[in-house]
Amino acid sequence: MTTVLPSLASGLASVALAASDAVVSPADPRLVQVALVISVLLFVIGLIGFLTRRNMIMMFLCTELMLQAACIAFVTFGRMHMNASGQVFVIFILTVAAAEAALALGLVVLLYRKRETLSSEAWAELKE
Amino acid sequence: MPFPSLTPYALYIAGAIGAIGLYLLIRPGPVNVRRAGTLIGLAGVGLLVSEAIHIVDASVGGPAGGIPLIPCILGFIAVAGATRMVTHPKPVFAALYFILVVVSSAGLFLSMQAEFMAFALIIVYAGAILITYMFVLMLAQQSPSESPGDIEGATHYDRVPREPLAAIAVGFLLLATLGTTIFGSRVAPIGDAANAAVARATVERWRELESLPRRLDAEIALVRPGAVAAPDENGRVLAIARDGSASVRIQWDDNGTVRTDAIPLPASAAPTNIQTVGLALVKQFPASLELASVILLMAMFGAVVLARKQIELGEDERREAAGLRRLSLDDAEPIGRGDATASKAAPVGGRS
Repeated sequence: MTTVLPSLASGLASVALAASDAVVSPADPRLVQVALVISVLLFVIGLIGFLTRRNMIMMFLCTELMLQAACIAFVTFGRMHMNASGQVFVIFILTVAAAEAALALGLVVLLYRKRETLSSEAWAELKE
Repeated sequence: MPFPSLTPYALYIAGAIGAIGLYLLIRPGPVNVRRAGTLIGLAGVGLLVSEAIHIVDASVGGPAGGIPLIPCILGFIAVAGATRMVTHPKPVFAALYFILVVVSSAGLFLSMQAEFMAFALIIVYAGAILITYMFVLMLAQQSPSESPGDIEGATHYDRVPREPLAAIAVGFLLLATLGTTIFGSRVAPIGDAANAAVARATVERWRELESLPRRLDAEIALVRPGAVAAPDENGRVLAIARDGSASVRIQWDDNGTVRTDAIPLPASAAPTNIQTVGLALVKQFPASLELASVILLMAMFGAVVLARKQIELGEDERREAAGLRRLSLDDAEPIGRGDATASKAAPVGGRS
């Protein structure tokens, strides 16, 4: 308990906006590592979801999860090198995700009107 | 140190434990099996995180700072939410769990001093994109009476996963590859390299202030009202000292004589996160910004073209409303349309 409380306090301090007198603070290596593990795990879970789900909307949602994992990795690497390029890439990822959601979901609704099912296997004939 | 040579195997073992947990979770099975899968999966993720922290400690040569407790908790929430999203039989609930993932990764962004991206993520992802998904899920929902024997009212293709074992094997291989490539190398510069990187980043951050003249003027006005920034022969306004502090050259009119001076700037005068991101966006990536707008425009065109199809299907109804003869009978196939579903879809499009 005595070790948990100070680390909790320091965590809160890092979440609260930087109140230190330094203009640029170096990245905490452990924080960088933990965020990279999270991003890798989210990407892998998204890939597994994309492969296992049969619902077309769920497959697109799983690609959004993979994009999210890439966003976390970009922001983490940007923090590691202390510049803003990683965050700029996240803006572009958001753009692509929004465009993809608009188009893909429109297509899915059209396909659903034709077959009355969201199963991706109902459209297996498209592959030929 | 003997520890790093063991770490790849420890990473693989942790990944394999997590994979077993996910396999138990992903198949429709008894509640006890799913509970055991949850526990095993959590143990695997915990092992993976602690192993990663061990690796970074070994590369630094000692404890590399305190335990990042809040990022760890947020990460667990994100991974648990993602797992539940992938395994949940009802798509609407899966979308809600994805919002949980988005919110917790926004918390991770906050702890990495990316405040603008954290809130943009919540507004754009959780607020806009996920609402679109929700709309479509509810538009395309199956009636539960269609297959009455289903557990929890979910449809067959949402309950039974496709090739779970092969998918999890592929996921484990990807995890192992990413683990060895990312965590096998040092993640952050340490020692003198870290100090040099911080010094360089500090200089760059102060230089960005020169691109923000109005903010600079506001800072000067706080210290000496009426003074203006005075560039030197190189066009530089700021002088940055070796210790990371900066001072600005100013010029003001003192009863007819022009005086110049250098005043120190507080650390709070440095550009904030949103200013840094905005400057990087327009200074480093202007072409990409234009391309992004083209992508959005094309997506809008595409969505309009897709949406127009429904209006075309409702042509009969429009003719009827205008007092004209219908082009086709309800029970006959429409003229020029080969499939029977077009006539079924026509009233839907006409009404909407």
